[in-house]
Amino acid sequence: MSSLAISIQNLTKDFSVGLRGLKLRAVDGLNLEVEAGQIYGLLGPNGSGKSTTIKIILGLLHPSAGQCELFGQPCAEVAARRSLGFLPEAPYFYRYLSGRELVRFYARICGVPRQQMRQQVDSVIELVGMSEAASRKVGTYSKGMLQRIGLAQALVHDPDLVILDEPTAGVDPLGAADIADIIRELKRCGKTILLSSHLLAQMEGLCDRVAILHRGQLIREGRVDDLLAQADAQSFVVEGLDPAAQFKVERTIAEAGGELCRVEKTQRSLDALFLEAVNERAQAAAQEVSHD
Amino acid sequence: MIDSLQRMRWIAANTFLEAVRQKFFNALLLLSVALVASSVFFQQFDFGSSELKFISDFGFGAVFFFGAILSIVLSTQLFFNELDNRTALTLLAKPIHKLEFLAGKFFGCYALMFCFTFALSLVLAGLLFWRETVLMGQLAEGFDGGRLIRYGDVFVFGFIQWIKFGVIAAMTLFVGSFAQTNLFTIVVSFFGLVICQLQYIARDAYLGMEAGAGRWLVQGLSWLFPNFQLFNIGDQLVYPVEESLALVTLGLIVAYGLVYSVAFVLLAQLNFRSREL
Repeated sequence: MSSLAISIQNLTKDFSVGLRGLKLRAVDGLNLEVEAGQIYGLLGPNGSGKSTTIKIILGLLHPSAGQCELFGQPCAEVAARRSLGFLPEAPYFYRYLSGRELVRFYARICGVPRQQMRQQVDSVIELVGMSEAASRKVGTYSKGMLQRIGLAQALVHDPDLVILDEPTAGVDPLGAADIADIIRELKRCGKTILLSSHLLAQMEGLCDRVAILHRGQLIREGRVDDLLAQADAQSFVVEGLDPAAQFKVERTIAEAGGELCRVEKTQRSLDALFLEAVNERAQAAAQEVSHD
Repeated sequence: MIDSLQRMRWIAANTFLEAVRQKFFNALLLLSVALVASSVFFQQFDFGSSELKFISDFGFGAVFFFGAILSIVLSTQLFFNELDNRTALTLLAKPIHKLEFLAGKFFGCYALMFCFTFALSLVLAGLLFWRETVLMGQLAEGFDGGRLIRYGDVFVFGFIQWIKFGVIAAMTLFVGSFAQTNLFTIVVSFFGLVICQLQYIARDAYLGMEAGAGRWLVQGLSWLFPNFQLFNIGDQLVYPVEESLALVTLGLIVAYGLVYSVAFVLLAQLNFRSREL
């Protein structure tokens, strides 16, 4: 198997618009390589070509020019999709099926052997935390539950590559944190994950590499740490420093030829604060119940 | 190959499940049953053995009328539901061919039409049996040779109609494969149905024409659209006639319908293969 999960070369996609067939270029000469085992983020504003690129990878759209391969196989071939799981943006599923029936349906379509069916279905439903609601009709699910069951159907055939299009859109921070944990767990299991999202803070904490698209073109690509690092500046996080000691540090920096740009209180993110508060409250409530 | 058939089977089963849960199917099935059953209340028009003919004609008409509506509307709805609700995106992102998707949709509709025609044939046969039993008691001299109606052939008629509904459903899928809206698909498919019903006129026309481009054109068109008059064999099947239909003829009619169904599904695949979702 190729070490590249996704290889995109000079990919261009034009759409014909209107009766005169005017060309609208959605993806413009895109080159992208996603190593196996990575979490790769696809970033960009609306209309930047993220969804079009994903649809080409999935074989749902035909490229106007260029090539796209999944583990060395052309993505237009059905065989290439055997090792691929996909969660669409704002997923719509068959409302009349229960969560378990839905996951089983997709497992059958993906050719999961009969002997492994029950075990596979139950394990992915448990992985996404939907065991309790698995017997309910999909039509009664909240948006967060739809995302979770969508994730289960994407994982049920144990794919090597998982493509998640806005997996946390419309999901509350707790649900989003859970989905982020599942994504990290998938990476630990050796899966490759291609993630498209507008939630930059979440992408920053999750992705190994990111690509930023704008009007169909790749404008930045690389490791997250490298892209975010400022080459000419360092930061020191210090605890328990009194004003006199701080003055000394500032003077030392000045004497060494450095420039102290700012001194500020370290802040947690609002996400972290929210999760900590809610989890503390949930633990306290659980303890009260166990004492009763 | 077996995997491919399995995938079609699961898609068909899911399509069937979706269809039976739709109010439209249930409402139309009830309406059709009610219409067939109501034919006994039109006795003021016909009496004696003619009454049975009236009931059977009425029943055959109801099977065709509602069956054709159901074939067109349901196959359109089930196909466009997948596209409009974007469930097709998730499904086609799996390792399946577009032909498997289309064939699965077709077989789902086909299974539904089987239930529909079987239910109506059952109601019609039951109704005819009841009225014939009553009439045999009242007008014994008219039934010297025993029962007039061949009840098994009511179901053969239903089977032949089912084959025809398959052609209609496949034709609708073909229209849907290039149409952008379900309204367009329904309207064009109904036009197609009318053309297929009246196709014998084209056949008569080219037989009367002199050889030339015009004749070839009309003949070509008559091959393009299936001739639905071939399926109207209810009277020959159900009532004793001098020359009853040979089994070979029935087989040829079934083969004719199946060939057109396969051809339309393959044509739909040609369009759908290049369709961007």
